[in-house]
Amino acid sequence: MSNTKNEPIHSSDLLATLQYSQQAPILLGRQSNSKMAPLSLITSAAAQPEEYATIERLFFACLQTGDDKSALICLDKLTKFFGRSNERIMGLHGLYEEAIAGDNSALEKCLREYDDILQQNPVNLPVLKRRIALLRSLSRPADAISSLIKLLEATPTDTEAWCELADLYRFQGMSSQAIFCLEEALLITPNAWNVHACLAELLYVCATSPENGEPSKLLRRSMRHYCRSIELCDDYLRGFYGLALVTSLLLETEESCTMEEVSLKETLPRLNAFAFQKLEAIVKSRFMDYQGQKCCQSELIAAKELLNRFGKSS
Amino acid sequence: MALQGTEQTILRDPALFYWILIPITIVMILTGILRHYATVLMNSPPKPPSTLAESRERYSIFRGVNLRSNGFVLPPESFEVRKSYLISAYKNGAFLKDPESRGQPPANPMTDPAGMDAMMGMMKGNMMMMIPQTLIMSWINAFFSGFVILKLPFPLTIRFKSMLQSGVMTRDLDVRWVSSLSWYFLNLFGLQSVFGFILGSDNAANHMASQMAGMNPTAGMNPFQPGQDPDKLYLNEAENLEVMEHFCIYDGIEERILHNLASK
Repeated sequence: MSNTKNEPIHSSDLLATLQYSQQAPILLGRQSNSKMAPLSLITSAAAQPEEYATIERLFFACLQTGDDKSALICLDKLTKFFGRSNERIMGLHGLYEEAIAGDNSALEKCLREYDDILQQNPVNLPVLKRRIALLRSLSRPADAISSLIKLLEATPTDTEAWCELADLYRFQGMSSQAIFCLEEALLITPNAWNVHACLAELLYVCATSPENGEPSKLLRRSMRHYCRSIELCDDYLRGFYGLALVTSLLLETEESCTMEEVSLKETLPRLNAFAFQKLEAIVKSRFMDYQGQKCCQSELIAAKELLNRFGKSS
Repeated sequence: MALQGTEQTILRDPALFYWILIPITIVMILTGILRHYATVLMNSPPKPPSTLAESRERYSIFRGVNLRSNGFVLPPESFEVRKSYLISAYKNGAFLKDPESRGQPPANPMTDPAGMDAMMGMMKGNMMMMIPQTLIMSWINAFFSGFVILKLPFPLTIRFKSMLQSGVMTRDLDVRWVSSLSWYFLNLFGLQSVFGFILGSDNAANHMASQMAGMNPTAGMNPFQPGQDPDKLYLNEAENLEVMEHFCIYDGIEERILHNLASK
């Protein structure tokens, strides 16, 4: 949860994270060298905030790739600068302890430590969030949800926490609650196209699940959210993928039942065709230079598979 | 009055230029920089909330504001649900730190330690402004009062006389002549961009900006001024929510997409 905060590297993209963490010795070495320079006090004063942000990112990347030694060096550097009592540093320390914990009993110990810290300062947000993430990884989702709700009551303007709650609910199969959470996240960041796409995906899943009463209504909402995410970012692969999928499904289901909105009847096929056409264009152009950036390969493969399935690939 | 059309000439010692105009300018710039760093040093960050309830009281107001400004991302039914929930919660004081003390007059900010801190911060900021300005102005008054140091290369109307010739009690002098005290005032208000260039755009020497910031604190800080009753703000926000009109951005989005993107 908090380890994805402010992180330009997409944390699900393991390859890039690995590459980044492999640079750790170089980056750390460079920073210790620059400290030696006699003029560094004057020249590096302005660059320091970015430097420490880099170290923090490096810390996350090292932990993710199992390079605990470099992670500890990063953590020491951060602690030296900001002090042990800084809330964020406390959160990072917790994260490190969790990462090197071998078994569940060690994790339980971390949890008790968090509880101790929170007794002293109940609004220590990084530690609060770590505690919730730890509850989740201890597979106690109900506790995690209730703590997260308590946290959100206190800070209702935290997008990250709303998204996390949505994720927790989704894994519990409580779609309508998850939808509510994502809507709250959207209220705070109305132009986040990825959140729009997430919400659309959730609505789509909700509509395709058998227990739902009115799938076509949810599908239409899903389509609109996909449309909005495309409107905000006009080469968003995920948005086009979803739009293509959802419009195809809508075309199938709407043919059998009566279409309520007349205008939709004529725009739907056009929208479907447009989505597939654009998807194909994106896939084609990105496959050209995917050697250079290996990051979104899996998404591209999925998109290609979709195109093949619907027989639209040329 | 000065005769129209005739050029007034005053024989000035060129040394006036080097010993008054430039020193005043340099001193002004240096005090600006000094003030910036002094403010940075003395600035105490706003205190974070100490309990969850306090944090809730602070941030819940933003929920209403967000709903009002970004409500267009919601479909009408979700919007209505949220709106009615927030209005009733605001009206019942559900987000208040201690709902019992609702309706009572707010505590005196002088006795409230949190309020005292904020007042001290404001006071420090004001003092940082006032003291250097007073000192410099008295310095100029003591040493350079009554000097005419500069002639503007363009004509001005008589209205500018009080602005450009403060400290010079000559009725007939052409408006184009600038006195030392006026040069100080011109510097005081005109050096903002110089400070922006030297110190970066969000510098503390920019006293106009700091005054503005005192009036409307940005999000993330405490939205409530010391001594302000949060309940009143909540009721106000509830009223704002009640009268707002909702539009949905998803109305006709399919046509919009096809029109804007597919036609390309």
